[in-house]
Amino acid sequence: MVTLDVRPQLLDALSALRDRVAAARFPLPLAGAPRARANRDELLAQLDDYLVPRLRQPEAPLLAVVGGSTGAGKSTLVNSLVGRRVSEAGVLRPTTRTPVLVCHPEDHHWFSGMRVLPGLTRVWAPHQDSTEDLLLPGEDGRRVLRIETADTLPPGLALLDAPDIDSLVADNRVLAAELICAADIWVMVTTAARYADAVPWHLLRTAKEYDAMLVTVLDRVPHQVVSEVSRQYGALLTKAGLGDVPRFTVPELPESAWGGGLLPATAVAPLRTWLAHHTQDSAARRHVLTRTAHGVLNSLKARMPELAGAAAAQYSAALRLTSAVETAYDSEYKRVRGRLQSGAVLAGDALKRWRAFPLDCTAGELLDALSESLVALLLCAVSAADERVDEAWRREPAAEAPELTDRDTAPESVEHRIGLAVRRWRRELDEYAEDEVRGLERGVAPDPEAVAALVATALLGGRRARSAGEGLAERIGAHGALRLRDRAGRLLAEHLDRVMHAERERRLAPLDGLEVHPEPQAELIAALSVLQKER
Amino acid sequence: MTAVTDQDHTDHTDHTHRMGHRNRTDHMGDGDNRDSRENGKTGSTGSTGITGSTGDPERGDVRGSGEEEGPATGVRDQEPRAPREQRAPRDPQEPEDQQEHRARERRAERRERAEREAARHARVPDAGSGAGGADGGASASAEDASARTASGQGSRADSPSEGGAAWDDGLIARRVTEASAAEQAAVKEARGGGGGGGGGGSSLPTTPLVYDGHLRSRLDALRELVGLSRARLDNRTLARAGRVLDEAAARRRLSGQHTVVALAGATGSGKSQLFNALAGVTISETGVRRPTTSAPIACSWSDGAATLIDRLGIPGRLRRRPVQSADAEEQLRGLVLIDLPDHDSAAVQHREQVDRVLGLVDAVIWVVDPEKYADAVLHERYLRPMAGHAEVMFIVLNQVDRLPGEAAELVLDDLRRLLDEDGVALGEFGEPGATVLALSALTGDGVGELRELLGQFVAERGAAARRISADLDTAAWRLRPVYATGRRTGLSEEARDEFADRLADAVGAIAAGEAAERAWLRNAGRACGTPWLRLWRWHQDRRDPPTGRLPVTAQPDEETTARQRVEQAVRTLSERASAGLPAPWAQAVREAAVRGAQGLPEALDELAARAGLPPGRPPRPGWWPVAVMAQACMTLLQVVGGLWLVGQIVGVLAPNLGVPVLLMVAGIVGGPLVEWSCRMAARGPARRYGQDAERRLREAAAGCGRARVLDPVASELLRYREVREQYARVMGVGAGAR
Repeated sequence: MVTLDVRPQLLDALSALRDRVAAARFPLPLAGAPRARANRDELLAQLDDYLVPRLRQPEAPLLAVVGGSTGAGKSTLVNSLVGRRVSEAGVLRPTTRTPVLVCHPEDHHWFSGMRVLPGLTRVWAPHQDSTEDLLLPGEDGRRVLRIETADTLPPGLALLDAPDIDSLVADNRVLAAELICAADIWVMVTTAARYADAVPWHLLRTAKEYDAMLVTVLDRVPHQVVSEVSRQYGALLTKAGLGDVPRFTVPELPESAWGGGLLPATAVAPLRTWLAHHTQDSAARRHVLTRTAHGVLNSLKARMPELAGAAAAQYSAALRLTSAVETAYDSEYKRVRGRLQSGAVLAGDALKRWRAFPLDCTAGELLDALSESLVALLLCAVSAADERVDEAWRREPAAEAPELTDRDTAPESVEHRIGLAVRRWRRELDEYAEDEVRGLERGVAPDPEAVAALVATALLGGRRARSAGEGLAERIGAHGALRLRDRAGRLLAEHLDRVMHAERERRLAPLDGLEVHPEPQAELIAALSVLQKER
Repeated sequence: MTAVTDQDHTDHTDHTHRMGHRNRTDHMGDGDNRDSRENGKTGSTGSTGITGSTGDPERGDVRGSGEEEGPATGVRDQEPRAPREQRAPRDPQEPEDQQEHRARERRAERRERAEREAARHARVPDAGSGAGGADGGASASAEDASARTASGQGSRADSPSEGGAAWDDGLIARRVTEASAAEQAAVKEARGGGGGGGGGGSSLPTTPLVYDGHLRSRLDALRELVGLSRARLDNRTLARAGRVLDEAAARRRLSGQHTVVALAGATGSGKSQLFNALAGVTISETGVRRPTTSAPIACSWSDGAATLIDRLGIPGRLRRRPVQSADAEEQLRGLVLIDLPDHDSAAVQHREQVDRVLGLVDAVIWVVDPEKYADAVLHERYLRPMAGHAEVMFIVLNQVDRLPGEAAELVLDDLRRLLDEDGVALGEFGEPGATVLALSALTGDGVGELRELLGQFVAERGAAARRISADLDTAAWRLRPVYATGRRTGLSEEARDEFADRLADAVGAIAAGEAAERAWLRNAGRACGTPWLRLWRWHQDRRDPPTGRLPVTAQPDEETTARQRVEQAVRTLSERASAGLPAPWAQAVREAAVRGAQGLPEALDELAARAGLPPGRPPRPGWWPVAVMAQACMTLLQVVGGLWLVGQIVGVLAPNLGVPVLLMVAGIVGGPLVEWSCRMAARGPARRYGQDAERRLREAAAGCGRARVLDPVASELLRYREVREQYARVMGVGAGAR
């Protein structure tokens, strides 16, 4: 086993990696996202609470976290190891809701600061009043770690009584996982009734995966069956490849019964001795440190690519969503262009007005009808694009992110925006027409509004409005007509682009707001390779 | 049993309440739970020790059954969803041809018995698939159940990687990796299953179960609902409802005299001990080795339950009789007790068996112990999803002898609190709901009470129907999102009007009407104007460029209808119509609208051409000639007056200024006067004419839109409404309508 040589470069690489992990986000609800989030949190907890502080200060006391299912007797075990009641034990499940850390008075300074478990607020005053204690972790979501000192513990060792690992209270579950990640020594407590449960076995397998220093305690074994249960448990451990894990058996004694006092020292003596040996003997201690630390470092090799993969999946999902929007808007944009060319605006009301112009219809009315028709065309295009986007997104699980689903769907606001744009276009067209008319001699100068109406008709009417172009040429001259038409055409194209672009951006805004980028994947992998080089 | 996890908590509770009200009458027996508990304390029956050695012969039995798993394995291998990692290790152990061989042997053996029962099973739609007869029935139900198992595991029901992957949120202790799943599979023992011989007693003709009218009508409604919505919903959504129906039908054919009760719980909670305590004899192996029981064991207190046990797939070797005592026989007549394996051990196949059998039994006794009563796995995977089944649930706190003093009462209260949080209605104070009690199978404390409660429960014979009804409720609640949204639906009158307006816009009805009105007015003005005015106009016309005026409709205009407006109108309409509909039905409405909209613009084009005004001049009313005449008279007066004056000036006529001047003035004043009055008179008819033009176009467009779009959409909505009513009937709301 390699010694725990800690070079500053390694620490730098590790904190860089930590920052990358902390920055990774998985906002899109893909199939693997919840898992990736949990993995990220776990990794972050392990880095923050264990690996970085441990590598920084190898001389800090060993932390043994006692974990297990509810009712396994974790608190009783901790109390018995310490020799006094530091953590409440009871018959009501889940008992331990506030984790309790016990250490030697000399080691107190190691844990009073935020060196490890920075996410937990420290509480020193021993809460004898249990009701108050129960309330504490719940209040304003603050998570609390109670620190107790006991000089019966050997210096250099701290025991942490964690909540149950599969608690009905979801917060406890998360907290327990986080606490176990902070351990140098994982003390897994199971009982005679539980040793075949699935949940503790998952934990044991995780410990094996991380190659953490693991100790198992088979607790609450009725004395009649000690040997048989112990043998079977041993067999199961061996089968799972954990045969070499130190195994301690604690019998169920009347004293241990439900909320009772402490177990006699003899019952926990072997475990106590083991722990004391591994904290005080420097070789054994180094063995513990290096094993768990290197285990975590090694596990990064598998876990970082997993996170990177999840990040990549997020990005590709975001890309698919974006491209669905872009495709939809692009194709609608093309369709609108085509329709404008073919004179679709000069249809329905506008066409009827144009037919009546100028005898039975004023230029203003014709312009109004044309504007309205143009608004309808644009609105139709935007709605159709949105519909297509919805259709495409319906097939994407990632589109179910709450940020993406509750966008404002009020078509009125779209209509309003498009109406504004078209009105602006009309105003500018009027100005162009006035400019053009102003240049003509006063006597023959036609009504600028009529000119504007004719230009608009010629532009929007396609082939159907050829006579409008002719009329325009007659009124302001062929040259002026051509110029006016060109300018107005450019103006129309510009407004059309602007409207479609704005709507597309609006549609993409929530997706952009999620900030799913391709960088995290590469950064995670890069951080890992830097770390590998520094080791 | 069906599992619902994605359901609102409050929803669940109040739905249980509703169910409770309905069943209150036939559940009065629960009222005296507390009293009977006091009495039951004395009735402690013989209990068995925990020593594992007593179970040895039984153990041999269990193992033995594992080897002849022919038909069961066959069935399992056909299962589409059978997890791969479980099949893999078994195959080398038992080559396929050998399996086939054994299966055939067993089938031959059972052919005789099967034929006897064939008459009863003939109506099972899915029984004909396998070997037929009892075997087929059992295998079909087993298949059914495991399919249900696969999807019955909480909210991850639809994920393809079922097996161990359910209930796996990635937390450190709840993670199932592939490696661990494989390891678990390696531990897997060969397991018994399949229909066994008639170990549970001779199959006497039994009275089949009868559901009461309400439940029957609800089941019928569900069947109809499934039929109605098959075209709209995908099979996966409907699968659960289909299974409920199948199981209701299957259970109905079987004995109504029996109640199948399963003992379920965590490993080491003492299920087998309680089982033995209730049976009065050591039937199920107990011990410290965890997990102890690996296959379900049945114990039936009276004859005629063989087919029921067949349905659970418990082989004959694992069927037992309780110790013969007239007293116990009398009390628990009709009880079929099933001892299940654990649901929380590392042996995944145990959990699968539990999930499978739980879907088929009539009632469940959850056995918990002081150590494990708050396990997340129990509450999250089983109790919460099954909260609707509270009435067919007993929750038994075993091993109270391990608790000192009043701690038992504390734990019991805590358990009640947890159950309440799970949404399980508690059967206290006469309310229908789950029964909670504490006992110790080891000392026999409280077993008598449970026995008494069970006796009452079984004697009521309502459990099977109640269970089916709870299943139905659960399935119906799961279907809720596809049938109901709690919002008002339908197409309002405004939406229809707006659609018509939009179509009218698209064909340009308003503009056409206005143009027609103005043209009429213009013509009237021209017809009745003074000749001088007409002259001046004619002159103007000659000077003006001829553009823009009445573009001669030389080429028939194509695409006179605004496509975009039609499209938008249909879109808005379908949005309005589908608002508040559950997704699949909203989709159907949208599709109907889109289908209808195809060809709509072309139809409107054609229609506008037909319904629009005939080209050319508007018709001339009869009074125009009179007006023209009057105008001519006026002009004549002017001319005559003028000529007279000229004549006087020239001297041809006698000078008489008064009369010609008067004539001329009358003509000059009268002309405009006639014109003005004509214009006034023309206003009304012109408006009528324009409105008529507009109305013709509008009505034609609206009619076209109605026929092509509105009607299909409305019929789609009607179909939804029908389905919605059917759903309400399934939920038991429209009970009066049966």
